[in-house]
Amino acid sequence: MTRASAPHVLIVGGGGTGGALAHDLALRGLKVTLVERGEFTSGTTGRHHGLLHSGARYAVNDEDSALECIEENTLLRRIAPGSFEENDGLFVGVTDEDMEYLPPFLAGCEATGIPTQVLQPDDALRLEPLLNPELKVAVRVPDATMDAMRMPLRFFGTAKANGADLLNWVDVIDLERSSGTVAGARVRDLVTGRETRIGADLVVNATGPWSEQVAHMAGVDVPIRPSPGVMLAVRGRLCNMVINRLHASGDGDIVVPQRGLSVVGTSSWVVKDPDDLGVPADHVQRMVDEGSKLVPALREAPYRSAWSAARPLIGSKDDADSGRELSRTFKTIDHAVDDGVEGFVTITGGKGTTLRGMAEVCADVVCAKLGIEEPCRTRETVLLPHTAAYAA
Amino acid sequence: MTHPPTPGRDPGVDEILRARDPAGPMSRKVPGPVAWFDLRSRSTGHLAFSLNRITGLGLVFYLYLHLAVLSLLLGGEGSWNDFLGIATTPLFLGLDVLLVFGLLVHGLNGARLALVGSGFVSSHQKALFWSLMAFGSILLVYTALHVFGSES
Amino acid sequence: MMATRRLRVYRFKRGDDSPHTDEHDVPAEDGTTVLEALRWIQLRRDPSLGLRHSCIHASCGTCGVRVNGRERLACVTPLSDVSGTISVEPIANLPVLHDVVVDMTPFFERFPEPHPIVRESEAHLEAERPDGLDLYLRYEDCIECGLCLSACPIAATDATYLGPAALAFAQRMLEEPRGVDRGAILDWADQDNAAWRCHAAFECTEACPSDVRPAQRIMALRRDLRGRRKEQGRAVPDLPTNEAPA
Repeated sequence: MTRASAPHVLIVGGGGTGGALAHDLALRGLKVTLVERGEFTSGTTGRHHGLLHSGARYAVNDEDSALECIEENTLLRRIAPGSFEENDGLFVGVTDEDMEYLPPFLAGCEATGIPTQVLQPDDALRLEPLLNPELKVAVRVPDATMDAMRMPLRFFGTAKANGADLLNWVDVIDLERSSGTVAGARVRDLVTGRETRIGADLVVNATGPWSEQVAHMAGVDVPIRPSPGVMLAVRGRLCNMVINRLHASGDGDIVVPQRGLSVVGTSSWVVKDPDDLGVPADHVQRMVDEGSKLVPALREAPYRSAWSAARPLIGSKDDADSGRELSRTFKTIDHAVDDGVEGFVTITGGKGTTLRGMAEVCADVVCAKLGIEEPCRTRETVLLPHTAAYAA
Repeated sequence: MTHPPTPGRDPGVDEILRARDPAGPMSRKVPGPVAWFDLRSRSTGHLAFSLNRITGLGLVFYLYLHLAVLSLLLGGEGSWNDFLGIATTPLFLGLDVLLVFGLLVHGLNGARLALVGSGFVSSHQKALFWSLMAFGSILLVYTALHVFGSES
Repeated sequence: MMATRRLRVYRFKRGDDSPHTDEHDVPAEDGTTVLEALRWIQLRRDPSLGLRHSCIHASCGTCGVRVNGRERLACVTPLSDVSGTISVEPIANLPVLHDVVVDMTPFFERFPEPHPIVRESEAHLEAERPDGLDLYLRYEDCIECGLCLSACPIAATDATYLGPAALAFAQRMLEEPRGVDRGAILDWADQDNAAWRCHAAFECTEACPSDVRPAQRIMALRRDLRGRRKEQGRAVPDLPTNEAPA
């Protein structure tokens, strides 16, 4: 099978998942086209605080996510060397309630293979002088910091070097169907303003919080709810390690260093339209209030930016109000199986950290449907630098 | 970026890639060399750069002028005396002061560039520029007073 | 009644004869940024507007534009920082892809290889490092936004000038080699279109949103180059070459 004669997969959505999928499929020899209506990672991927999850945040309540995270955390450091601030992270207990969370936290980490090291307050303050001096305990975990755009961009660059066509500023207007099979897409190239048609043997919906909009173009439903959260960036690199609050997930419970800034996240609510998120002022204030319980210097640090990003949360339509209750794991949906529509697959959910793993599962499904027997090579393939995405 | 049509590539994709092939236009409002003197939204460093360019051009122009004037000596005492007559008019004296202005700006800023360009005091380049210009202004006023004060 | 501001946005699609501008009155609250205003136009008035953004917090460097002629990151530029009608144009000295989006390929082509972007952290040097970690790491300050290249008057007239970002990066490699050969970096910087082409306008440092101070770094590069020449006993520069070292 040469690439010219290989089946053609059209990936809709240029976030981290789409990029990682383009990379995986290109390595397996398929013809790949990716279309993204803006800049790559401009939807949700580029906006997150840059945490490379150890999975410890999910160790107590969401074991599946925790396992996925620690596995991918280890893998990504190998295939994308030089893309992480490998400084580890701390889970910091500040109140008595936090201390009650410590035993299940340690047990959950142990059960999911996440290494931990319990530190007394003095030791923690020696590592991170700006921590809340009233802290009661800190647990060291293998968190790390990534550049939320540049790390995924390595997948794009490598895919491009391997023959994938990555088209940014191309908007999918509709999906074409012929007798129950998705056969391609009607697109508008925003660079020229002209409409054209792209034919494909299979279309993958990798549009994150926009998954439902694109699924409707194929006449199917996916249980995705856009769930935004607010983040705040202040001037000053207040910590080198990632600082988390030792409690069940809540607002403003993580501080991540990003170059000369510190980013505090996040909050959670559910919306209908992923394009219209807003930045609620009370949520921003909550970032300051909660974040300064971990790093008091946050309160006086000069403001840089406040923004929202929508997670794609999987769940049934009637679950949950705040979005936090929905799982952070990911899901590949073969619409031939679920809805009787051939030629269309949705990959959705997940987190920035699990992009490669999501792509592997989806690529396996895609290849099985297309009758391609090629193994996944993304675990061993070291990625090109992010600048490859801009190469001529 | 070159994207010749590739066998097996979907024609819609080909069309999109080829539309992006020729490099787009530049968005700069003013053409290149005019941009040297476009100080809108620019800071001290650019002002110094522009002044150096214009005074440099001015001084080169002056050099040619100076040589042309000196060549009047070839025409003998008469043509030189005619020149001296113009040389003491207020307009001409004013041009002399302008020349000194150009020399001072170019020379003092040149000294600044030599220091900064060698890696010394590059973080204080703005303060250095203004203090040198202030010093130069004093020299200019002194010179102007003497040029206009003594008619000889 | 919500306050509004008028934006005048540069528009150009491939195939147009020439660019034009569109004006829109955009609702503006305290703190509304240029990017938020542009996205409002895209969402509510004109979905064909081409925009470039990703992180929305001055870390990815993709949203660089010229606002009333001055290089800014749209995501952290409040409308209240700008007076009158707000003109938004693409950054200069790079080809326009469409609307306010430029083609960054010629920007990245100027950099020497390899291009490490992680360095030792200079924050909290007095703190201990955890067991098993020799040092804390952090990303380089440069976010590759291109504002410096846009502001540079030399880049305006010389497309071969390697530019402030690439030169500042090279100087960082001399400060912290990370396994790259210093001699090769110095060779690369010792070209006519490299460290010697700068004319000290300092507009790059003025425009940089990330405290890279490229102009100061170029001057430091020159100091290192001159030092090397003295050592090697050379007074005359080598003939120019446009090849970066392997």
